[in-house]
Amino acid sequence: MAAPAQGEDSDDGIDEFMEKFKTQKYKNAFNESNWEEEFDKVPMFMKTAPKNIDPEKHPDLACIQSIIHDDDRTPEEKARSLKDEGNEYFKEKNYKKAIVSYTEGLKKNCMDIELNAVLYTNRAAAHFHLGNMRSALNDATAAKKLKPDHIKAIIRGAQCSMELRNYAGALQWCDEGLGLIPTDKKLQELRATADKQKREAERDARKAKVKVKKEQNEKEALLAAIKERGIKLLKTKPSRHRGSDSEDDDGGASRALADLELDGIGSQEATGAHVYMDEQGVLHWPVLFLYPEHSQTDFISAFCENSSFMDHLAVMFGEELPPWDSERKYQPQNLQLFFEDPEKRNLYQVDLEKSLLNILQHQRCSVKAGTPSFIVLVSGSPFSKQFLSGKKVQRLK
Amino acid sequence: MLSDGEAKELLSFLTLEMRADVKGQATGYILGLTGNRDGCRYLQSKPDFLKALVTLTRDPSIAIVKDCYHALVNLSADETLHQPLVKETDLLAILFQNLLDPEYMFADRICSILSNLSRHERTCRDVFSALQEQKIGLDKVVEIFCTEGFNKKASLHYLGPLLSNLTQLPEARHFILDKDRCVIQRLLPYTQYEESTTRRGGVVGTLRNCCFDCSHHEWLLSDAVDILPYLLLPLAGPEELSEEENEGLPVDLQYLPEDKKREDDPDIRKMLLETLMLLTATKVSREIMKNKNVYPIMREFHKWEKDPHVISACEKLVQVLIGDEPEAGMENLMEVEIPKDVEEKLKELDTKEQEQMEKDKQESEKKQNESPEGLER
Repeated sequence: MAAPAQGEDSDDGIDEFMEKFKTQKYKNAFNESNWEEEFDKVPMFMKTAPKNIDPEKHPDLACIQSIIHDDDRTPEEKARSLKDEGNEYFKEKNYKKAIVSYTEGLKKNCMDIELNAVLYTNRAAAHFHLGNMRSALNDATAAKKLKPDHIKAIIRGAQCSMELRNYAGALQWCDEGLGLIPTDKKLQELRATADKQKREAERDARKAKVKVKKEQNEKEALLAAIKERGIKLLKTKPSRHRGSDSEDDDGGASRALADLELDGIGSQEATGAHVYMDEQGVLHWPVLFLYPEHSQTDFISAFCENSSFMDHLAVMFGEELPPWDSERKYQPQNLQLFFEDPEKRNLYQVDLEKSLLNILQHQRCSVKAGTPSFIVLVSGSPFSKQFLSGKKVQRLK
Repeated sequence: MLSDGEAKELLSFLTLEMRADVKGQATGYILGLTGNRDGCRYLQSKPDFLKALVTLTRDPSIAIVKDCYHALVNLSADETLHQPLVKETDLLAILFQNLLDPEYMFADRICSILSNLSRHERTCRDVFSALQEQKIGLDKVVEIFCTEGFNKKASLHYLGPLLSNLTQLPEARHFILDKDRCVIQRLLPYTQYEESTTRRGGVVGTLRNCCFDCSHHEWLLSDAVDILPYLLLPLAGPEELSEEENEGLPVDLQYLPEDKKREDDPDIRKMLLETLMLLTATKVSREIMKNKNVYPIMREFHKWEKDPHVISACEKLVQVLIGDEPEAGMENLMEVEIPKDVEEKLKELDTKEQEQMEKDKQESEKKQNESPEGLER
């Protein structure tokens, strides 16, 4: 409103109106103390919009919002402003909200193919940044279907495929794009990366296969060696086949070894150790010594089949006796070892000078859960007498 | 051959408007002529017949079109027909237009004809020019070639030899080796394309031609193209290499499975070795190849190979790979000046080697029939 020239008379009362300001405060003025806050509530001066617009608190904002989404406009116009809205959210990195806007835009089903393609592409980008690769890929595909020459959609499609590790798919997207713009650097770069990763993935697959094959061969050799020695393996799980002894068929090989590996060892020292064959073809077994008198066990992780029991016992009970041996009677020369025949529940005494292999080859000896175990008693001790009474014991001659 | 009168009458039968049965007989007769050299030579001087044949490829009767294409394939196999065919008729235009049609059922014949016509430089230029004029360009040909199932009724394998032939022209090589595009990269996987020896051979031939120019070697061997694995894979076998050797190889050659087969065709094997040989021309590329641990692959290949020509090519390559670096001034083996007397001696040795190999070959092929090279069908 132009101020009236000094001294000019006006007949619409403007002069008086203006004069009033010099003396009176107007109503609804901003308070001096909270004028900044008040400013922030005026839509025109807001620095950021509130996340949710409550018509009660911000009636003017709610009004403006409804103007934007006014029903009088064409689908194209509505879709367009929804696209713009989505883009704004996108710029703020508010991808979820962006997706909502784009989706609303697509729902308008307007006739503008280019616009719809852009909506799909942008939504794909939003999904991409949220890590929703499949949704992003679907949207990129939809965009491309509408507009086969939409480069941004193609690039996005390639990127999504890469993230999903579908390198062959990524290559296809890139080649399609390069068919449209052969010199596009971004596509060429993407293609080179996709190709490289594809070939690396193929190599990794081959490498894994070789490893599996090697392990398989080792396992088979191991089982063959065990079988060759006439050692009986006892399976802990109920078998599908009749008879629970060592396996013949292929699936059985890994199952038997799986059993070896499984719950082979019950004691705390168990570390998943299992029998292995060294370079000279000699087997080494994990072996358990059980001391029922004191409820103790000893675990020998790799007992060479050619070693004798006395070899080990001499070391284990040689210099120092174990702490649980309160009566100090577990000396090597006093010890007696037995293995149990699980079927008949008989005990067989072990000749300590013999090798592990020798004992394992005993007719009635079998290996349970991949770990041969032996009961250790002190010869002539009261516990030993008690333990052995009522059992059928095959003593050494 | 035909008298002038007979020829004139026959020509009159070879029109689109003619009755089907007469047309059919006439084209059948022409086809018969093209089946032997004399017939072809006769037609060489009769551009009107050639024009008629080309026109009749548009005939509504499939049987007639088939005969026409068959005749054109035979004619294109004879070098003396090349210039008359491209200059006196609009054959090239028609061929290229139909090539682009994914439904065209005679696309394979088209590829054979183009492959034949592009064999020798002069007509090859005409073929290349026609590509540009028809606004198709080499990139469309490569695209069609690399699109699996582009034409459901035709395999288009003979586009391979076409590309190979075209790359005898520097303009074609220039396009394939364009760093700003992605052309040669799309061809590389086809060195292992099992379904067609023709396609494989065409691609390997193309790559070989592209390697003649040293200035592109570094780019070809770099990650941007990475040509080396694609040349080595067909030569690599199922033999197990140590973990060390594997880890030093290019990714594609690591941990090859037990059923890995080598390239069947000895000519292609030889071309691959020649291409590798070309890549060893400069010091820089020699270094790269040495560092990529190519030697173990060649070592195993040498044990496996039986064909003496191919063994010879392999040995030459290995020599360069494991031999000492040449002295200063001789880094680019292609540009070394060989003193006259040394050149004479080398030629002599080469001749002797050739003779020996021929002798060996003849002895082993005493009772075998050798199929004649060259003429397509």
